[in-house]
Amino acid sequence: MSSPCRGNNGICLLLACLLVLAGCEREERQTRAEPVNETGPAAVSMTGLYPGEPSPPDPRGQEYEGNAFHLAQGKQLYTWFNCAGCHAHGGGDIGPALIDDQWIYGSGIENIYATIVQGRPNGMPSFRNKIPEQQVWQIAAYVRSMSGQASKAASPSRSDEMQNKPAEQSMPQEEPKDSSGSVPNLDGRQ
Amino acid sequence: MRSLAPLWLVAMSALDPAGEQAGHIAGTFWLFTGVLSAIYLLVLVLLLGALVRSRGGLGREPAVERRLTRFLAAWAGGTAVIILGLTAVSYATDVRITGKPTQPELTIEITAKQFWWQVRYVDPEPSRTFETANEIYLPVGVPAHVILKSQDVIHSFWIPNLHGKKDLIPGRENETVITAEREGVFRGQCAEFCGFQHAHMALDATVLSRDAFEAWRESQLAPAQAPVDDAQEQGQQVFLTSACVMCHTIRGTTASSRVGPDLTHLAARRSIAAGTLPYSRGNLAGWIADPQGLKPGSQMPNVTLTAQQLQTLLAYLDGLT
Amino acid sequence: MPPAAAAPADDGNWVMPAKNYASTRYSELDQIDTRTVGDLRVEFTFSTGVERGHEAAPLVVDGTMYIVTPYPNRLYALDLTQPGAPVKWKYEPKPAAAAQGVACCDFVNRGAAFSDGRLFFNTLDNFTVAVDAATGAELWKTRLGDINKGETMTMAPLVVKGKVLVGNSGGEFGVRGWLTALDAGTGKIAWRAFATGPDSDVLIGPEYQPFYAKEKGKDLGVTTWPPNQWEIGGGTSWGWISYDPELDLIYYGTANPGPWNPEQRPGDNKWTGGIFARNPDTGQARWFYQVVPHDLFDHDGINELILLDMPVDGHPRKVVVRPERNGYVYVIDRGTGEVLSADLFAYVNSSSGVDLKTGDLKYVEAKQPHMGQVVREICPTAPGAKDWNPSAFSPRTGLIYIPHMNVCMDWESIEANYIAGTPYVGANVRMYAGPGGNRGELSAWDPVKRAKAWSIKEDLPLWSGTLATAGDLVFYGTMDGWFKAVDARSGVELWRFKTGSGIIGQPVSYRGPDGRQYIAVLSGIGGWAGAIVAGDLDPRDPTAVKGFAAAVPDLKERTTKGGMLYVFALPRK
Repeated sequence: MSSPCRGNNGICLLLACLLVLAGCEREERQTRAEPVNETGPAAVSMTGLYPGEPSPPDPRGQEYEGNAFHLAQGKQLYTWFNCAGCHAHGGGDIGPALIDDQWIYGSGIENIYATIVQGRPNGMPSFRNKIPEQQVWQIAAYVRSMSGQASKAASPSRSDEMQNKPAEQSMPQEEPKDSSGSVPNLDGRQ
Repeated sequence: MRSLAPLWLVAMSALDPAGEQAGHIAGTFWLFTGVLSAIYLLVLVLLLGALVRSRGGLGREPAVERRLTRFLAAWAGGTAVIILGLTAVSYATDVRITGKPTQPELTIEITAKQFWWQVRYVDPEPSRTFETANEIYLPVGVPAHVILKSQDVIHSFWIPNLHGKKDLIPGRENETVITAEREGVFRGQCAEFCGFQHAHMALDATVLSRDAFEAWRESQLAPAQAPVDDAQEQGQQVFLTSACVMCHTIRGTTASSRVGPDLTHLAARRSIAAGTLPYSRGNLAGWIADPQGLKPGSQMPNVTLTAQQLQTLLAYLDGLT
Repeated sequence: MPPAAAAPADDGNWVMPAKNYASTRYSELDQIDTRTVGDLRVEFTFSTGVERGHEAAPLVVDGTMYIVTPYPNRLYALDLTQPGAPVKWKYEPKPAAAAQGVACCDFVNRGAAFSDGRLFFNTLDNFTVAVDAATGAELWKTRLGDINKGETMTMAPLVVKGKVLVGNSGGEFGVRGWLTALDAGTGKIAWRAFATGPDSDVLIGPEYQPFYAKEKGKDLGVTTWPPNQWEIGGGTSWGWISYDPELDLIYYGTANPGPWNPEQRPGDNKWTGGIFARNPDTGQARWFYQVVPHDLFDHDGINELILLDMPVDGHPRKVVVRPERNGYVYVIDRGTGEVLSADLFAYVNSSSGVDLKTGDLKYVEAKQPHMGQVVREICPTAPGAKDWNPSAFSPRTGLIYIPHMNVCMDWESIEANYIAGTPYVGANVRMYAGPGGNRGELSAWDPVKRAKAWSIKEDLPLWSGTLATAGDLVFYGTMDGWFKAVDARSGVELWRFKTGSGIIGQPVSYRGPDGRQYIAVLSGIGGWAGAIVAGDLDPRDPTAVKGFAAAVPDLKERTTKGGMLYVFALPRK
């Protein structure tokens, strides 16, 4: 097959530039979220039932899920803030599994954000005021990548720890079944 | 123990050795420089002479060659001797600076993280082990056995006035010995590119007399100062109820996380953020308010605090001597 | 033989999970024996309405059966005098739902204790409750801990001389462990003995006379830890307590030190991983033996302690026998704390024996965890050769029936960050079957001969308790739901029944109001071993459930969640 570049150095250069620029979004580093006080989603839907058309998803989802820096930071924070203590490396333990297709409180990145910040009645602690907002987005994006929901190009491709589940990049993309899993057990007092 | 000298005044010179190992290295350096300079000058002189003499035409007798051959042989032999000699000197220096004391009197464990140094003073008595960050204190004349570990990527431990560079490699333990011979304040730095803020990963090294060192050690073993007034009391509450408690340890409170530096005796340090800024209440305020502005890419996030919270928090942290 | 004072004659009731203070878990009823057990059949069942791990022992007192369920910790009283054992009353403590988030190993509860017309049990959110056994009315409810510090309570209390002894859980959350005595009448705290900290907190005073030199010293609960680490040091008491009325000493163990990563806590880490003997009235310690100094593998020291008077090297001695988590059966003089023997009952390569002169456990250097490195094939695994599930002793055969595991692990230490209310562990673990391929085993151990008499290999780990009866039978359950009876002398399986869900509970035997002998057991998979089913977790991650998911990846195919009481008896003549 003849190469389109043969004898056409200018076009070659242009193509190369385009390819390079395409990777920029994956690699962009935003060390300080903009605006400075990164905020959470105003309201989060926890069901797939809407009157009429569903509202568009939060645009920050794509921004965090498509960025390698944010996903890598999320992966580090997942261990540092003891998420792994209750959810293991996605298989679950005290908390439910995060690599499967069952989501009790919604699988969207804004739902995961809300779960982390608000906590949940059956044992998920509330990290409100404890984890800065940008870091919550990073962790939420990483959690999405654990079941293959984030961009494959940006997901971490290997783990630095003892071999556990396959790296996020290689995880099969699950089809989230929202509001599945155990019904919240509210026999308790609060 | 806070030095008032601005950091840029603190020299970081390998040619100003303050320790035994740095002394050996500097001595070897000067020996090499001297010998090689002498040879260089000699070569220059000979070259100059050759250039001058060659002006007299090119019809030389072959007999002169024999004299030159002997001269060349002597030259080659001399070179070999000098090279072997310098190699031997280098090897001997290497052996001398890596020798490990059999019964180390002082053991320090340094774990490098992006982008700060976690320093642990180890003691055979476990309750006399303590941790600090981004600083080491050494007693004069006592060989300190330093164990080097890394949490993430390869860093390199380098205090030029005291020793050469030694890498900290994740997954293995390296070790080195530092014997400080002169009291003073020195600066160290990460010497292996480790990421975005590699340039802002410095280490304060202070060498004290043995008595002063013991006093410092005792003060470090004590748990953190309790709040003495309302502002500090509120500041401690701010610390424990906001994001700080997720990453930092203040011994004596319930904060015991190791993601970030141990802050138990923060106010006694010379600098913050691994040498990025000299310690002062104002610098601390700027650091807490906008760490990503000062050291973008470091692991300390921007935490939203109200002005009131920040002020009381500073009152508390500034009291942690 | 168990000491008579601690093991009174069997009256057909079952008033505490261990059966008696000597913890024999032995029933003198012999209507069901090796000849008749083949006809054993279900008499009645009862659904608890909860689908998590059922680790409790049903109690039976004078015609009423009492069951504590896992969270939400309902207490049911069943009327055994009526056909079908209908519910007489139920008591619902309504514990805080958030407590489920700090329970390391499923929301289990190991049972209640009956004394003097009252039932005592613990709720997951750190309350000890006293309930009137006849009416179910709450008598008192005392709060003992805080879930925001990671504390929960799962153990079965023991009532000794009018005091209710309870301990907390949470060694994986950086909890400071303790054992507390509450007044049985009022619920007020009589004394509290911490497992770490200064001697005044650990209740170590002039009465303290340990046998070994390594247990002697001032404020060892502080000096054997880095500064302030003892405050989050673990040493909880979530297991079993025994009592000797003659020597007037209670015996119990302390659990693992926190975090699992040993490099973060250099030192012996007293008083974790060891056995205490205390005065029940004051709580003052008499002796202590640290089974696992500077524990490396999460080997909690909370297993059952069986009180026996038996010949050791020809001389009669008063001992406690403990099949320990680290794979040794310890025989310890219960008056002094001297280890008389420590023999392997499972495959162990992480230690090479116990030095009986100094009491030290000799760790194998090659199997010690290191930060950032994976150490492979460490046996026994973190839940040990045997975890909490208790053994039973039969005075007729002289054998201790130990339900245990044969599982090894790979371990990688990582840095643990203490954030109150979240796990404080610091290790990635992955478990798998040990040599031989069988993950479980029931061993009949002869404590005098110090050897196994027989053993039964099981495919799945054994996480249920055992029951020994005078009919020369041993009852136990498997994680896929088979409830089995084997011959106590030979180990031959004589009867089995498939229950609805895996069995991790403690079987008991009682004499019903009609004079027949009954066997009761709770079926409902869960606990650390069964969490993969109880929590519907994902075995694709081998480190799930702290590594146990890799040991039982097939469990979801073998059993499902459930919560049912099964009561068996022989057909009426």
